Amino acid sequence: MMMNSMKRMTWGAAAVALSVVVSGCAASDAPKTAVVEQGEPALTRAMPGAQIVAMRRLTEAQYRNIIADVFGPDVVVAGRIEPIVRPVHEMIASGAAEASISPAGLDQFDAMARNIAAQVFGEQRRAQFVPCVPRDEKLADPACAAKVLTPLGRYLFRRPMSPAEQAFFVKLAGDGAGPTGSFHKGLELALAAMLTSPRFLYVIESAEPDPARPGELRLDAWSRAARLSFLLWNTTPGETLLTAAESGKLTDQAQLRTLAEAMVASPRFEQGVRAFFADMLLFEKFDELSKDPVIYPYFNQDVVQALPEQMLRTITDHLVARNGDYRDLFTTQRTFMTRSLGGLYQVPVARSAGWVPYEFAPGDDRAGLLGQAGFLALYSHSGRSSPTLRGRAVRELLMCEPVPNPPGNVNFTAVQETGNKAKPTARIRLLAHATDPSCSGCHKITDPIGLSLERFDGLGMARKTENAALIDASGEMDGKPFQGAIGLGKTMAASPSTTQCLSMRALSYATGRSGEDVEELVPALDRKFAAGGYGIRALFTQIATMPEAYRVVTKPLAAPAHVSMLTQ
Amino acid sequence: METPGRLLRIGLFGSALAAVFALGAVAPTWLRAPADAAAPRPQPLPTPPPGGVMGFVVDSFVQPVIQGKDACPQGTALKLRDAYLATLPAEERAQLERKENEAQLTQRWHAYAFGPDNTNVCSQPDMFERPLLRTVQSKKAWGLDLDEGKTDDTCAHEAFTTPTGEQGIDNQEYRAMGCTLEWRGVDGIAGDNQTGMRQFMSSGEWTQVILLRGVDSLQNDDDVEVIYANTPDRPLADSKGQFLRGTTFTISDKAPRNRNVLHGRIKNGVLTTDPADIVLTQTWGQGGARDIRGNRTKWHYAKGRLRLAFQPDGSLRGVMGGYRPIFDVIVSPAIGGAGSAIVAGIDCAQNLATLRHYADGLKNPKTGKCEGVSAAQAITAIPAFVNDVAPARTAAR
Repeated sequence: MMMNSMKRMTWGAAAVALSVVVSGCAASDAPKTAVVEQGEPALTRAMPGAQIVAMRRLTEAQYRNIIADVFGPDVVVAGRIEPIVRPVHEMIASGAAEASISPAGLDQFDAMARNIAAQVFGEQRRAQFVPCVPRDEKLADPACAAKVLTPLGRYLFRRPMSPAEQAFFVKLAGDGAGPTGSFHKGLELALAAMLTSPRFLYVIESAEPDPARPGELRLDAWSRAARLSFLLWNTTPGETLLTAAESGKLTDQAQLRTLAEAMVASPRFEQGVRAFFADMLLFEKFDELSKDPVIYPYFNQDVVQALPEQMLRTITDHLVARNGDYRDLFTTQRTFMTRSLGGLYQVPVARSAGWVPYEFAPGDDRAGLLGQAGFLALYSHSGRSSPTLRGRAVRELLMCEPVPNPPGNVNFTAVQETGNKAKPTARIRLLAHATDPSCSGCHKITDPIGLSLERFDGLGMARKTENAALIDASGEMDGKPFQGAIGLGKTMAASPSTTQCLSMRALSYATGRSGEDVEELVPALDRKFAAGGYGIRALFTQIATMPEAYRVVTKPLAAPAHVSMLTQ
Repeated sequence: METPGRLLRIGLFGSALAAVFALGAVAPTWLRAPADAAAPRPQPLPTPPPGGVMGFVVDSFVQPVIQGKDACPQGTALKLRDAYLATLPAEERAQLERKENEAQLTQRWHAYAFGPDNTNVCSQPDMFERPLLRTVQSKKAWGLDLDEGKTDDTCAHEAFTTPTGEQGIDNQEYRAMGCTLEWRGVDGIAGDNQTGMRQFMSSGEWTQVILLRGVDSLQNDDDVEVIYANTPDRPLADSKGQFLRGTTFTISDKAPRNRNVLHGRIKNGVLTTDPADIVLTQTWGQGGARDIRGNRTKWHYAKGRLRLAFQPDGSLRGVMGGYRPIFDVIVSPAIGGAGSAIVAGIDCAQNLATLRHYADGLKNPKTGKCEGVSAAQAITAIPAFVNDVAPARTAAR
């Protein structure tokens, strides 16, 4: 009976959240949010004086990090979160600014929220979060509930709750305590509602007048705190940042820099770098990576899980632990191995379990990020390698040079016939395919890059021959010839597009704006990136402190196709 | 003191193992390339790596059964049910074999597996008098010439000849056990034990590695250190169950630590080690000590030696030979206890009696009786990385 009452109440809370239908928007746009209140105070009333300029939905990693940071890593986050759709050629961070939540997605959030709330206010943990003793454990106690929910709301909403919000959630706790006969069940209900609120699920950026640029807007202190925290640590602002926001430090350029520098010096910066590169390199594709196990006997679940982790460990070791030059990421010999990856790479691995550092021999063609099996396998087909996919990934992801999709009527027969002894290598097959004028234009951009990686098969295992024919790993990029993965890595390292692209991706990731929207800021940022020795800390510190990143750029709205509700 | 529950668990697990042996139908890999060191190799052998260190993981370790009707002309050795029936007068046997008497026959042959005080033929094989098994009658067997013609510490025995003509082959284990269903298989073309052994290896409870040091040439080298050891690491396998090449194993540094250090030489592409005691351990299942899982059994080969031919594809193929203590041969069904007898139909007492009869090695100087049988295992091994862990230093070592 109690459970049924609780369930009804929790679903009621979900319905409250659902009623606040939101659709994110980037800071570059004027607000397109429309909110209707049926209980939970509308955002605009909750944040008096603030102008909401952007809403970015939390990613799954951010959600998990927040729960761990606010409630502890022992609180289990059970379930998966509706993925954010990646805009073409953009970051998921940009997609987050456009992401809505479907009814099914809200169901998932609601189920997770109820589960988390039950853990937080369960008998084992409640003492950590309830600083007061309710007058009667079977009844509502608004004063005690306020003491519990107010600090939690500050962490979850990334700003202090307004009086209206506070009153709403305290009332919700009381409404829950009544039918369930439990003060703590009431708190569960209120917390579940907070966790399904758009205030939590979306990073809501609000703006204030910019005193340096009359008539224009800049992000306010709370939004700056969230921006810093999600950019650098991929989680919610902690006490230091919230206090800094409260005291006005985040709008003071010098104090902002001090805080940003401290954050990039923290071990938690690695978490932020991981999140950024996972977004930039499209790691969501690993979730659907599949290979033909007959063709690739070393493909298994251990390997699938290890491939992105190996890339991230290589990246963070080089850029964060060693403070290395980003350009050297394409030629580094250092990486990490597990036993299952050791088989794929055909190298010894000292420990039976876990990761061990590994360094390829000088001159080994495995050098650099592009020689890693994760990249090579991700940009291949399930049964064969693909110089085109690999070349396209280099162009689009690492050099920010979009390549058009192939026309719909292309005949792929020539490239798919991997067993054709008359055309034993991919180079020969692609040459035959690219004689079609409608194909050759794009293949010229991608294939000479990807062909240099042909000494690695569709899973990224080294090979010297294909169909008994020696593989020619010569490549070319923008008129510069090279050999193999190491040659490609050196060419990438020497190209200004490589660092400019990273600057653009990082800026886009930080602001949620598209590459096009931040393009004009890139040359100056890249110069500062260079001045910092192309170190990732220097780049992220620069982005975290550049005033332009906090300015609200307005542009005329296109006529909306549909406006579902009106803002109060 | 065994509890009934423990006995039941052991019995059932032992039976399951026996069933594993009985179900195998895969052609043994060693048959595809006989373990004959002298066989010509048309393809050149690879060059040893710089430093001369080569690692391998054993991917097949099976009894080398030669199939064919001449080996067991009377058929495979009788299972316990049929062995019991064979003890009866023809008329009584015929009556019991009628379908309507099946329950009575089952009750009686099950009873044949037990003795006084709840003893049974597999847990206490010494306590039962049983006739010998049907044994291998052909003159051919795979194996090694262990005694090299000497008779001082062996007992009288008849040597085999390999299918390729090598004489003086000592493999009395094969003579004694080679007609059992577990060795020969139900269809006459597959060695059933191979399936069971392969499962043990795939599960990581029986992984063996070979590490060669000081290899200058795969053709001829007078001085090679050979470490033949167990590892707790489970081999990685492809979707068909074939072990993957080039994976890494670490020799166990925890007890029981079986790291046999042998000396060998390579002649004409064949590595042969000097006779030495070789001890390997099998850990049954992954469980604790309260049931059969987690129990360990030893494979002890006295005067053991390896003879392995390097293959053009980088693998090793050959034989391990040596003298095994008689009881070691039946330790698997003995651990299975009554379950091995009444579910798998194995008469351990009969096996033991036959092995004793053909024992030809490990002569007890006091009794003059042999307590071991010459034996051979066919081995194939594929390239792997092997981390050797040197023995721990102690005050005495």
